[in-house]
Amino acid sequence: MLLEMKNIVKDFGAVKALSDVDLIVGAGEIHGLLGENGAGKTTLMNVLSGTFPPTSGKIIIDGHDVLGMTPKKSKDMKIRFIHQELNLCNDLMVYENMFLGEELLKRGIIDKKEEIRQAADVLTRMNVSIDAKAIVGNLETAQKQIVEIAKALLFKSELIIMDEPTTSLNNREIDNLFAIMKELKDQGVSFIYISHKMPELFTICDKYTVLRDGVFIETGFFKNIDENRATELLIGHTFAHSNLKVDNAGFIQPEIFMEVNRLSGYTFNNVSFKLRKGEILAFTGLQGAGTSELASALFGATAITSGEIKIKGETLKAQHIKAVMKHGVGMVPRNRKERGILPHLSIRDNHSIAYFTIKHKKLLIDKNEEKNRFAVNLGKMNIRIGSDTDAITALSGGNQQKVIIGRWLATEAEILIMENPTQGIDVGAKYEIYKLIIELSKQGKSILVFSTEFPEIHHIADQCFVMYKGEINGDLSREQMTEANVMLLSTGAKLGGLDEKN
Amino acid sequence: MKKINVTGEGVKTLWHKATSNYSHWISFIFLLLIAVIVNPSFLSYKNMTNLFVQGSIVGICAMGMSLIISAGMIDLSTGSAVAIISGLSVSILNSTQSIMISLLFCLTFGVILGLVNGLLITKGNIAPFIVTLATMSAYRSIINQIGQGGPFTVDKSMYDAYRMITAGKVFGVPNLMIFFIIITLITGFIMTKTKFGRYVYSTGSNEHASRLTGINVDKVKIAIYAYAGLLYGLAAFLLASRLTSIQAASAGDSYELDAIAAVAIGGTSMSGGKGKIMGTFLGILMLRIINTVLVMANVPPFLNGFVRGVTIIIAVLAQSRKRSNRMEASS
Repeated sequence: MLLEMKNIVKDFGAVKALSDVDLIVGAGEIHGLLGENGAGKTTLMNVLSGTFPPTSGKIIIDGHDVLGMTPKKSKDMKIRFIHQELNLCNDLMVYENMFLGEELLKRGIIDKKEEIRQAADVLTRMNVSIDAKAIVGNLETAQKQIVEIAKALLFKSELIIMDEPTTSLNNREIDNLFAIMKELKDQGVSFIYISHKMPELFTICDKYTVLRDGVFIETGFFKNIDENRATELLIGHTFAHSNLKVDNAGFIQPEIFMEVNRLSGYTFNNVSFKLRKGEILAFTGLQGAGTSELASALFGATAITSGEIKIKGETLKAQHIKAVMKHGVGMVPRNRKERGILPHLSIRDNHSIAYFTIKHKKLLIDKNEEKNRFAVNLGKMNIRIGSDTDAITALSGGNQQKVIIGRWLATEAEILIMENPTQGIDVGAKYEIYKLIIELSKQGKSILVFSTEFPEIHHIADQCFVMYKGEINGDLSREQMTEANVMLLSTGAKLGGLDEKN
Repeated sequence: MKKINVTGEGVKTLWHKATSNYSHWISFIFLLLIAVIVNPSFLSYKNMTNLFVQGSIVGICAMGMSLIISAGMIDLSTGSAVAIISGLSVSILNSTQSIMISLLFCLTFGVILGLVNGLLITKGNIAPFIVTLATMSAYRSIINQIGQGGPFTVDKSMYDAYRMITAGKVFGVPNLMIFFIIITLITGFIMTKTKFGRYVYSTGSNEHASRLTGINVDKVKIAIYAYAGLLYGLAAFLLASRLTSIQAASAGDSYELDAIAAVAIGGTSMSGGKGKIMGTFLGILMLRIINTVLVMANVPPFLNGFVRGVTIIIAVLAQSRKRSNRMEASS
């Protein structure tokens, strides 16, 4: 399929979401669509998939003008859109989800056997161990994402649009996905690949198109540019950074804030580490390595089976969230939408909520106190808002995350546990979060970052623990912190010449 | 698009604010206008206070329902709870000859019934709909058995004093109206000025995230049902005073429906997270206005339910449109 989108303009009322955007994707091409959140990528893809019509502009497929694109039409033309959000029904089985709306019929009734067979077939091809008859609600987020992708592979497609398909996949799963994409590409299938992850884009994509603020910036071949250039195109100016941490090392103070000894719990074992004042420790590992569970357990959200946690020399007795919070620990959870924000509440309320649970002793709420508390953090963190009574959902992902970090600053937490702190945040805003984290460490906060993104770890961490099958397989100092080393340790190998420290 | 998006969002939030913050006032005034058109004397003092008198008891229940729905839950047991409490309170009043003891009983028993709902929902991990469906049926059955379907009637000796609690007036303002307004103010105060109020909204908005900020979500839910129970207790006490004879089979009948309807018309989202006490207050008055207008306009009584039904649907439709607007804006 040869897709040409020409001079696409899309207005929402007076708002120009896309102005004069071109996108050309050839047969058997994987085309990376780059842009920050809000640059217009999703709008462009919605125009292509017929969700809404463009204000003006043409969609030409294989030389023919397509007029009045609808979702049905785009499906008939073998265009598949894998959405960023999971559009799955939790109560249905995997295969039922995959065939939802396009059930295979045999004499008017659903051909269950054939559906299961085909679904299982695709899943095996993807080299993932997901049972076609599993209930989707019981799957991990990563597995759900795989099901979403499998859904698109189930039907013969000529163009597959993937909107950040790898956000919750681990490296092995990503490799599998890429292998399948390459296979399909050889068969002439084209892809439009939307992602924030530079290494992925450079690995899998042939060409790129960059959008910024709804405007077409540039198109070309990935082989002709490097990551710095790509980032520059994305955000419009060169980030003068080699590495944030390099210029900001050495704020660690001798006082030990948190000491964890031989901690075990659901899916993690025998974890020990010490966290000093002003130190940033990173934990990483593949999906299922136990990092996520460790993070929850440290915050008291899930139970531990043995071992101890000492905070400032004091052993934690009660293992529940409020008790841990009272010891000066805060948590920025993964998956901000599901676990972080209170979507119906205002920015100010979202900011105050943790303060209320442990610090607020008075009977009544004082609006002005609340306002002032927020105003202090607003300045510290450079959050851009209209009014603090606006709904939190009116903010960009980066600003939402800052409000959530502010939530813990308001409680004067000294230890912050952050899980995937920049998940779903665009490049520019990511750096702001990194800077903020480093700034907090300078001020004497200790931070535990649980992350699967190596660049993130490399930008901020003083030391990185790599987990494998629930145990710490090794730790890396700044000098040893390379993507290759992290990979080695997270797949169970040991580093040559490195001694185990735990 | 980033910049543009902000303004687009701005327009939408403005619109959203206007419609969500004042929608209940707009519909209230609209209904009032219709009422005045149907009958120009609608705005008379007597008629207005009557609206309150008729709506107060179920209105007090609706305040409890507001909290429950704001936290994303539901209570179907309201009417049965009011029936069992008021029935038994009359027996207690007759045997102790003390209005005070009867009131204390009502409040305590109300809280206990609320705790039963709350504990089953949180500790038993059963959906609120199911738990309260079950207690609705159970409470009604118990009071029917005790009263054998018949009435609990206040003794002659207590009759006057007890009846005056609701029939009395202060400076021409019916006591019932005062009770309703005070409970509305207290509930509104709790919801806006205390951290418990925030917990109610945050639990309804995102239970998981609430838990991760140290909120004991179970405790919040139990407290909500206990507070609602307390109000049901008060409502039951007032109902017994107003009627002086409680029919086990019919007392408090369909209170839960009126309460839910008032909350919905008042603009509280059925999925939780957002809610307005003032909205529920006006919601109750609107239900009364609809009823009165129907009577004044000589609409056959059997059609009352139909008109009310249509009104509720319109109110909730307006809400769901707002919700989908917001979802579009955030995508």
